[in-house]
Amino acid sequence: MTQALDANGAPFAGTLGSRLRGDAERWRYALEAIGPFVTIGVILIAWEVLARQQIVMPFLLPAMSVVVARVFEDLVSGSLLYDTAVTLYRAFAAFAIAAVVGITLGLLIARLAAVRWFFDPLLSIGLPMPKLALLPIFMLWFGLFDMSKILMVAFSASFQIIIATWAATQSVEKELVWSARSLGASDRQTLWEVVLPAALPQVLTGLQIALPICLIVALVTEMIMGGGGLGDTMLQSARYVDSPGVFAGIVEIGFVGFFCIKGMELLRRRLLAWHQEVQKEGAR
Amino acid sequence: MSAVPAVAATADHAAVATQGIAISGVTHEYRPPRGRPVLALDDISLDVPEREFIALLGPSGCGKSTLLYLVGGFMPLQQGSIVVGGRPIRAPGPDRGIVFQNFALFPWKTVRQNVLYGLEKRGIPRDERLHRAQHFIDLVHLTGFEDSYPSQLSGGMKQRVAIARTLATEPDTLLMDEPFGALDAQTRTIMQDELLSIWRRSPTTVVFVTHDVREAVLLASRVAVMTARPGRLKEIVDTDFGEADSAEVQRSREYADKVDYIWSLVREEAIKAGAGGHL
Amino acid sequence: MTAGLLLSRAMPLVILALAWEAAARSGMVSEYALPSLSSIAASFVKLAGSDLYYHTARSIWRGLLAFVVAVPLGIASGILIAWFLPVRILLKPVLQCLYPMPKSALIPLTIIWLGIGDASKISLIFLGTLVPIVMSAFNGARGVDQTLLWTARSLGATEREVLWEVVVPAALPEIMNGIRTALALCFILMVSAELIIANDGIGYLINLLGEAGDYAGMFAGVITISAIGFAADRACVALTRWLLAWRE
Repeated sequence: MTQALDANGAPFAGTLGSRLRGDAERWRYALEAIGPFVTIGVILIAWEVLARQQIVMPFLLPAMSVVVARVFEDLVSGSLLYDTAVTLYRAFAAFAIAAVVGITLGLLIARLAAVRWFFDPLLSIGLPMPKLALLPIFMLWFGLFDMSKILMVAFSASFQIIIATWAATQSVEKELVWSARSLGASDRQTLWEVVLPAALPQVLTGLQIALPICLIVALVTEMIMGGGGLGDTMLQSARYVDSPGVFAGIVEIGFVGFFCIKGMELLRRRLLAWHQEVQKEGAR
Repeated sequence: MSAVPAVAATADHAAVATQGIAISGVTHEYRPPRGRPVLALDDISLDVPEREFIALLGPSGCGKSTLLYLVGGFMPLQQGSIVVGGRPIRAPGPDRGIVFQNFALFPWKTVRQNVLYGLEKRGIPRDERLHRAQHFIDLVHLTGFEDSYPSQLSGGMKQRVAIARTLATEPDTLLMDEPFGALDAQTRTIMQDELLSIWRRSPTTVVFVTHDVREAVLLASRVAVMTARPGRLKEIVDTDFGEADSAEVQRSREYADKVDYIWSLVREEAIKAGAGGHL
Repeated sequence: MTAGLLLSRAMPLVILALAWEAAARSGMVSEYALPSLSSIAASFVKLAGSDLYYHTARSIWRGLLAFVVAVPLGIASGILIAWFLPVRILLKPVLQCLYPMPKSALIPLTIIWLGIGDASKISLIFLGTLVPIVMSAFNGARGVDQTLLWTARSLGATEREVLWEVVVPAALPEIMNGIRTALALCFILMVSAELIIANDGIGYLINLLGEAGDYAGMFAGVITISAIGFAADRACVALTRWLLAWRE
């Protein structure tokens, strides 16, 4: 008997339905919901066992308990907070710079043809370029400490923001602008009260993409240049073959990254609360 | 495992039992992962004789598309039975061709390649495949566009490709899910005429889902009006105008009366559906 | 693109280049901070035959090897995770954990595991590029319009045929996006790792030249790898356009 299967591998029911078959859908969802916990649980247990039984050498894979202990140690000793603060300071300072410069430039590019003409090729070239390759030049120009790190991070992240702002501003529906004009709004009013709010969602998306970039580049610049921070500490651990340190660093970075992204999502939801309501009303 | 539809055996029914569609006691629930199940279809029984053009009509959410998908075999049957051409439904198959509102063309294939797809699955030899595909492309008046991609075609043209693709496998049953819903009014009228002329020439059983009363009355020989959710069969109205020309039919008194009558049935249900506050 | 249009697009770059040369020559800026374009070009010529070619080739070789393995493996994994429930239950949580992690955090890890030679760099780039490709293949496959799948089935396709003939082509646009992202990431990881610690490679050369005070040479190296990264991206875009010609 050939049985067709649906996309999830569940067989189609025959003619006589039964509650069990209809419930197959629900079973599937339930499995998928529990799945992550089971898988992660299994992986964590396997990790601990492999390490403890020395099936894998300890310097390659320190036991999970050791790594967790190290994370707590870092937390308690204050070094985790210090490193996180340093890295986040660099990342956020750069993010702020990139946001201000990027949004301004994006707006100018969208509105002034001359500016657009000048920057378009630069953006096309700059976006796909491995901008980190310029770090040695930044070090040459801006020194060996925070400034070159921050500027490199800002430089790396700004492209996404410029392009997102440009696209967002351009795609504001003409009708919105015309309506505002015909109701008597001046140029400046149109910009601040119509164009910017309408462009906000896409601009925020650009910022959301830029934030992880800021974190990643900040980490890498620390690894390359030293000077404290999560990246520097983790690389030092690697240099001294301190595996628990490296693994602890990965866990710590994972958490920091996770919270930053969640924070950004919350901010976005806050800022766009009005936007979604408007969209719901306008839906057919 | 064949189910015996619980309807008294008549001569008509014997014909239906061998060909045509016999829907019996079909009930269907939506079971979302979280939240309570929602009854979509409630004990639907319907006999569609071979080669009939029947319309399923009703307000949004009445389950007409769900019923169509069940006949097509795309969703598992929870309760009741559906027998097509004497065999109970197990899975989708080329005996029941489907046309969707969004055309569902394979965008990476040309018109010809799209139409060839079903023929390839049947293992028909190459020369004959090409010949048949060309026949159906010509049938829907798309000669000359064989090597175009869907992105280059208008809405009406895309729907024609979809129809040609489905017809190419010569299904006994044609399932259509609001196929002209995405087209503008003028194109829709043209497509309705073309569909009628195609159906008259190579008659298949057609199950046509729509929410447009005028379209249903014009195209179908019977209109099955469904209630608001949970969907039940409210009434089946005969709307057979024979071989008459569409324009003439639409000018006739009989047509206007039927549309009015069916619209009054649907309006009741549409209000109920609206009052329920559901999509 | 007409010659006139090309010229118009290139003009801003020409202007910048001229401004650069003028600033460097005028002595306004220290010769160290901003070597003139001509001296950079001279360095480039001098290095091109020997060191530059050798180190660039080593970097490209490593990156290419890692990337070429990651692409098919990533695509296959992503699609399988999307299509088969048991696979998805097992692997999707892993994917969701790995995706938001900064791939550069893997650098110290690969150093511990495999040292500072080729193996660590190749595995770094492999792991780093694998994740975005798997993710995009997964999203592409999940996002296939249900009506396409149903149509294929109703036209008589078996489940395997639906997978190969519908899901894969339908997911291709998303996959190509993922490959483009992965390609950019490949260069970033390549350069980063080599700037941190390496035996050879373009990043290593750039460091070397910088420490030796040969800033013109350093600039030449930076420009070289930037240009290659840019060219690779353009090639990817062109390939995408060719593969997805039907998108018009």
